[in-house]
Amino acid sequence: MAHEPAHTEAGKAEHHGHGAGRYWLVWAILLACTGLTVYTGHYHPNIAVALIIATFKASLVVLFFMHMTEAPGANRLVFSVSLVFTLVMMAGVFGDLLTRNPMSLPGAAPPSEFQPR
Amino acid sequence: MSSSDGGHGAHPGPHLAHHFETIEKQDYAVRLGMWLFLGTEVLLFAGLFLGYTVYRHFYYEAFHEASRHLDLWAGTTNTIVLITSSLSVALAYHAIKQNKTKTCAGLLIFTILCALAFLCIKGIEYHHKFEEGALPGVFYHFSEVTAPGANLYYTVYFLSTGLHAFHVIIGMSILIWILARVLKGEFSSNNYVPVELGGLYWHLVDLVWIFLFPLLYLI
Amino acid sequence: MSQSSQLSTDNADKPVIPVVNYLNADRGVWSWLTTIDHKRIGVMYLVSVMFAFLLGGIFAMALRIELLTPGPTIMGANTYNRMFTLHGVVMIFLFMIPAIPGVFGNFMLPLMLGAKDVAFPKLNLLSLYLYWTGATLALSGMIMGGTDTGWTFYAPYSTTTPMTLFPVLLGIFILGFSSILTGLNFIVTIHTLRAPGMGWMRLQLFVWAIYATSIIQVLATPVIGLTVMLVGIEKVGHFGLFDPSRGGDPVLFQHMFWFYSHPAVYIMVLPAMGVVSDAISAFARKNIFGYKMIAYSSLGIAFVGFFAWGHHMFVSGQSSTDNGAFAVISMFVGVFTAIKVFNWVATLYRGSIAIKAPLIYICGFLFFVVFGGMTGIAVATVSLDVHWHDTYFVIAHFHFIMVGAVIMAFLIALHYWFPKMFGRMYHEGWAMVAAALIVLGFNATFIPQFLLGNAGMPRRYYIYPERFQALNVASTAGASLLAFGFVIILIYLIYALVRGAPAGDNPWDSRGYEWMTTSPPPKHNFDETPVITRDSHSYQEPGEEVEHVVI
Repeated sequence: MAHEPAHTEAGKAEHHGHGAGRYWLVWAILLACTGLTVYTGHYHPNIAVALIIATFKASLVVLFFMHMTEAPGANRLVFSVSLVFTLVMMAGVFGDLLTRNPMSLPGAAPPSEFQPR
Repeated sequence: MSSSDGGHGAHPGPHLAHHFETIEKQDYAVRLGMWLFLGTEVLLFAGLFLGYTVYRHFYYEAFHEASRHLDLWAGTTNTIVLITSSLSVALAYHAIKQNKTKTCAGLLIFTILCALAFLCIKGIEYHHKFEEGALPGVFYHFSEVTAPGANLYYTVYFLSTGLHAFHVIIGMSILIWILARVLKGEFSSNNYVPVELGGLYWHLVDLVWIFLFPLLYLI
Repeated sequence: MSQSSQLSTDNADKPVIPVVNYLNADRGVWSWLTTIDHKRIGVMYLVSVMFAFLLGGIFAMALRIELLTPGPTIMGANTYNRMFTLHGVVMIFLFMIPAIPGVFGNFMLPLMLGAKDVAFPKLNLLSLYLYWTGATLALSGMIMGGTDTGWTFYAPYSTTTPMTLFPVLLGIFILGFSSILTGLNFIVTIHTLRAPGMGWMRLQLFVWAIYATSIIQVLATPVIGLTVMLVGIEKVGHFGLFDPSRGGDPVLFQHMFWFYSHPAVYIMVLPAMGVVSDAISAFARKNIFGYKMIAYSSLGIAFVGFFAWGHHMFVSGQSSTDNGAFAVISMFVGVFTAIKVFNWVATLYRGSIAIKAPLIYICGFLFFVVFGGMTGIAVATVSLDVHWHDTYFVIAHFHFIMVGAVIMAFLIALHYWFPKMFGRMYHEGWAMVAAALIVLGFNATFIPQFLLGNAGMPRRYYIYPERFQALNVASTAGASLLAFGFVIILIYLIYALVRGAPAGDNPWDSRGYEWMTTSPPPKHNFDETPVITRDSHSYQEPGEEVEHVVI
């Protein structure tokens, strides 16, 4: 282990570019965001705020811990497309639920009015 | 059968499969394969997030009330545990790229312990739920939350956290396997892609929880 | 141009099967079961899916025989329900989804890319094992468990029926995993294992089709995995996710189910279209007309297909807003299919057409894909579908595509690539007879069903009013012809396997890349990585006349 040629070590450091410091920084920001989301969720619950913070945290994990900033385009496309189709699924279902006849919505009548099987 | 290391140093490069021309192509291929697999995991959880979104919309009262009754300290601790484990697995990857095998192994052990801690805390939470009667569907008899649709909240809760916990176990197993290979000296600065891939899977587990936590505990 | 003609002249005197090829390179059953050679895996898939097709066909014949008379004929109501469930699940999950990608995708993809194997050969073998496991579980689960929900497993019946569904659901979950891994493998293969000189615009159209299919497999299949898992959990735990008496929504099940199952039909049809794109060039001896349009329309179908699932739910209680939106989006898919059909026909136009069995199937395919597609646009129209939904009209529509397009394409692939895979030629005369029987039999089976559906006969009913009997008898007669055609194919292909004349390396004189190596290929496909210097299927330079060749 001690006889690695010097040029390869230096070459490797160049290749990596960054040290471990950025991981610690991201970790600190993630913890801060967690604190923020607990605070806002507990005292001023708001789903939009919670989702924004969560998306920000997730982006940090994806970009830095998962090295998406250095990843080839194909990998980025794959992950983004899977997120897009998740949203497509939600949009389609919500489009239905928000525009349906209110009688056929879940929760329209109290469950006690149905005969449980 | 060729190795990328021309006999230099004590660490052979990764095994180049017969159908790949170069190690670079092989590495690119396995990374793309892993990202595709992570894409499928996102879509697997998507269905549960869909169920959550739908039922939260129609039973907002129940969801809001039930969320207050979750153990927030447990959820927050678990979030911190997972984020820290993400850090440690990223550092482990960083370490092995610099040939620091022992550091890498230590960090992997720490990550695995974090996973165990997560599961234990989750177990304690589930135990609380069983005692309170806050159970899904037909088993629901939690007297403190009576708004209609409360049982569905717990259905979504148990299904999402259950599937997530299952993935924690899978991720933990993968990391244990990687750890075993690190301890055997298989990885080095010449050969570290499997550590990266194991880490990627673990980060996905963390990602899912980053969304589950506020949606379940903080609404 | 010189490479393929060199191959033909080498074997001009008498075609010979290479002494050592992938079939005999390693011997013994164990060498097959532990192989990582994509060609052997493709052959094992072929045997498996043909067995599945045989089973699915037997279930279909049982249904058709039952429908010969208005009252009960050979079975009761419950058995009939179990029979159409078996037919649907076996045909869709055990045959249609895995068939063309698993058999021909596996065998041909590396050859068409100039590669030695797929990106992850061991994962490929795992896919095959998962297929066998899932198939066995699903089949035995249905037979022993009495599953009668239909292949669509709609809640609340599926979640409340006393029949055990667990093995079937687990089987389908595992089959889904097999599908995902295959798709993943193919995407990585196409990205990383192309031979030097093979840019994206030189890929064969079958490769483009497999690429688009694999994208759908990877993105859509996890959703069905989750959905069947939820049904299973629901049966055991009564959690109420889809149960109105516990506040759930049964239509949510349909949304989740069809989010996969609609793109699933494109998993079935895209590879079929890819086969036709390749074969049509070979049998018209002409460059494909509109290569880029066909390639992009494959991606277009894959993409738009994800947005159209609600057209299966027009009468489920879905809102009319969503109904309209899904209807309009569904029609866009027709645009991409039409683009392909026009390009295929333009390829045939003024080509040097070889009248062989695959060409008969190609003509059948074109006819059926147009009619199936047009009736698809028809049922995508909400105001019409409210009458046609759950009638034989819908059944005829999707069988026109599933059987008329996809199975025709499977037969095209089987005949076109049979000499490549096994080095032998089948009997052309019998192949023509079978092709005629199949095309005619298909028409006779399913055209009456359009009329039945339009007249109001519901699907999944084992009895029907007297006035529908004549058309039902006609349909069953057609089905018998169809079955007879398939049996003939089975016989002459098995005969060809053992005693067929050696075909030579390129009996069709095709310019596809897979024909650049011997037939059957050696174990490692290519002795040296080929360098690609021409487009796929380039039969003439721009401005050059089509050479009229008699094969």
